[in-house]
Amino acid sequence: MKLFFNNLGKAVLTKDIFENKILSRRLYKYFLTGLLVRLIFLPFLFQRDLLSTYQRAAETVFAGNFGSDFQQMLTNVIHSIYLFIIKSIFPAINKLSPVLLEKDTWISWINFNSSYNVFTALALFKILYLIFDVVCMFIILRLSFDGEPENKLQVFKFWMFNPFVIFILYVFARHDIMGILVTLIALLLAKKNRKYWAIIVLSFGIALRFFPIMILPLFIFYLARTKKDYIILSVIGISGLAAVELFSYFYFGRSVIFSLLNAQHFDYILSSKLELVIHDRIFIFVAVYIIIILSFLHIRKKSFDILLNYGAIIYLTYVSLCYFHPQYMLWTVPFLIIIFIRRKSLLYYHWIQFALLMVILIYWGDLVTKFVFAPIDYKFFIYLTGPIPIIIRFYDPAKFVNIFRSIFTGVSLWMIYLIYKDNKKMLTDELKDKEN
Amino acid sequence: MERISFAVKTIILVFLAALILPLLAGCRGIFYIPGASYGYYIWEEDSKVFVEWSADRKDSKFDGRISTDGKITGYDLREWEEENDVIKVGEDKIDFSATLNDKDYSDGFSFTLKDYTYLDFDLKINDGDLNRINIGGFLENPESNVFRIEKDYFSKLKMKHWYQKHPFSEFFSKLFSNKYFTFVYLFILGIIIIEILRVTVLATRRKKIIWLAISYTALILVEICIYFVLKFLIR
Repeated sequence: MKLFFNNLGKAVLTKDIFENKILSRRLYKYFLTGLLVRLIFLPFLFQRDLLSTYQRAAETVFAGNFGSDFQQMLTNVIHSIYLFIIKSIFPAINKLSPVLLEKDTWISWINFNSSYNVFTALALFKILYLIFDVVCMFIILRLSFDGEPENKLQVFKFWMFNPFVIFILYVFARHDIMGILVTLIALLLAKKNRKYWAIIVLSFGIALRFFPIMILPLFIFYLARTKKDYIILSVIGISGLAAVELFSYFYFGRSVIFSLLNAQHFDYILSSKLELVIHDRIFIFVAVYIIIILSFLHIRKKSFDILLNYGAIIYLTYVSLCYFHPQYMLWTVPFLIIIFIRRKSLLYYHWIQFALLMVILIYWGDLVTKFVFAPIDYKFFIYLTGPIPIIIRFYDPAKFVNIFRSIFTGVSLWMIYLIYKDNKKMLTDELKDKEN
Repeated sequence: MERISFAVKTIILVFLAALILPLLAGCRGIFYIPGASYGYYIWEEDSKVFVEWSADRKDSKFDGRISTDGKITGYDLREWEEENDVIKVGEDKIDFSATLNDKDYSDGFSFTLKDYTYLDFDLKINDGDLNRINIGGFLENPESNVFRIEKDYFSKLKMKHWYQKHPFSEFFSKLFSNKYFTFVYLFILGIIIIEILRVTVLATRRKKIIWLAISYTALILVEICIYFVLKFLIR
C-alpha cells in the first residue's frame, strides 16, 4: 500500500520533488493557497459566454440537438457529457433546464442570475475547468528543468498564482483550459521525442480549439528528422481538423473550416494590416508569424526550451498585433511561466499585462465588466452606472482604452525581445558547452 | 511565502477595487454621476426635498408632477435651461418637463414644504423603466410611476441597515436560501485554510492533533455562527 502511494506521489509530483520533504511540503502549500484563491471566485462571478456554452450543451443533453455548437463540436461534447453527469447527481441543475433552454439570451441571463441556486450552478459549471486546471498544473511540472526541483516548484507556483489563469478560468469562466491541457500533453510528448503521438495529440487539440494550429509548424520542425517526417507529421497535424470537417460535412451537411474562416474570429488574425494601393495590403501578423517560423526553422540545434520560447513568442505576437479576447491571453501562460525562471523581469511585465488588460476590458462593455458580478445581485449590477458612460463623460472611451491597448502591445513586444535574448543566450551557452 | 502573500494581497486588492463603485452607490444612498448615471434621484436634505435627473448623454425627456396635502413654501432650480426646461410651481403642486442631451447632463430642483403628511409623484422617463426612479437611495424604486411617499419616508429609509440594501440584501438572501451549498462551500474553504495552517504555522508546534481538533471545532462553530448571522441579516 505504501509503495502504491509512493509511486502515485512520484507520478503526480515528480520524483525530484516527492523525495524532498521540504519541497513537497512547499508544493502542497502553494497548491492549497492557489486552490483557495480559485474557490473564492468559483461560485460568484462569470461572464455571459459560460452560460452560452452550457446552453449549447443543454441543447444537446436535454433536447438531443447534437449540432448546437458545430464550430466547437468537441468542446460541446465535453461540456455535454459533464452536464449530463452533474444533472444526474444534482437536482439543482435539472431545475435550471428551462433557463438553459431559453432561446432569448437576455431573459435566460436574467433568469439564471436571479435563480436562488445560481451559486451552486456556477460552482458546478466551473468545477469542470478546475479539473482541467489541476491536471495542467501537474503536467507543467514535467515540461522543463529536469533535475532542478527548485525551479520546477517555481514554475508550479507561477501557474498557481498566475493572474490570467485565475481571472480567465474563475472570474471570466472560459473553456480555453481544455485546449491548453491537450497542448501541454502534446508538448510533454514532444519533449520525450514521441513525435507521432505528440502530433496526434496536438492535432486533437487543434480540432478542440483551433489555437494550437499556430504552434503546429514549430512542432513539425522540432520533431521531424527526415524529409519523410515533414510530410507525415504535417498530414497528421491537420488530420484532427480534417476529421472534424468530414464529420461535419456528412453529419450536418456544412463545412466547419469555411464556417470558421468566415467567422469574425478569423478576421482578428487579419485585423492589423498595412494598406498599400488599390486592393493590396499586408496582414502584419501573418508576415511576422512567417518570420518567427522561419527563424525557428533556421536554428540548427533546436532544444525543447527553444521550442517553448517560440511558443511564447507566437502567442505574444498574436495578442500584441491582433484584436483579441481576454481568454486568448491564457495561451501565453504555459510558455511564459517556464521562461520566468530564466528571465525574472518577464514576470513583472506579465503582471503589467494583466493590469493593462483590466483597463482594455472596459471597451468590451457591460457584459465583461459589471455584469460579471451579476450573480451576486443582478438588478444592482444592471442599473449600476458602467465604466463606459463614466469615461465618455470626460474623455473619448475608445481613445482612453486604446492608449492602454498600445501600452499593452509595447509591453508584449518588449517581452518578445527579452525572450529572443533568452534564445540567443541559450544557443550561445549550448555552443560553449560543445566547445568545452 | 512572502511572494505568495504578495500575490494574494494583489488579487484581494483587485477584487476590492472592482467593488468600489458598487459600494459607493450602495452605501452612500443617492450617489449619481451627472451625464453617466441614468434616472431620477430623489432625496431629502436639511428639510428640503431634492428631485434631480441625469442621463448618459443621450436625448432623454423627463416630465412629471409632484403634489402634496401641505404647502410648497419655496423652490430652487439646478442647471435649468429656460429654453428646454419648463417648471410650474403652484401652492401644492409642481409640474415640470425637461430634456437632456449630449451637452446637458442633468437638471433638477429642490423645494421646501410645510404642514404636509405625504407627497404624490407622477414621474415619466423615456422608457418608463421604474428601476430608474431612485427615491432616497439607489434602487429604492416605486411600484408604479404614480406613487406616494409619507412625510417620514426618508427618515425611515435612513434606519435601513447596509445589509438590507442592494447588493448585500440579495447576496445574503441567495446564500441563505441555498443553505446546503453555502455551508458545504464554506466548510471546504475552512478545510483548506486549516490545511494551510497545518503545513505552515502548526508544522513546528507540538501536540498538532490538539491544534487540529481546535481548528475543526472552530470551523464548525463559525459555520453555526454564519447560519444565525445570515438568518438575522435576511429576516
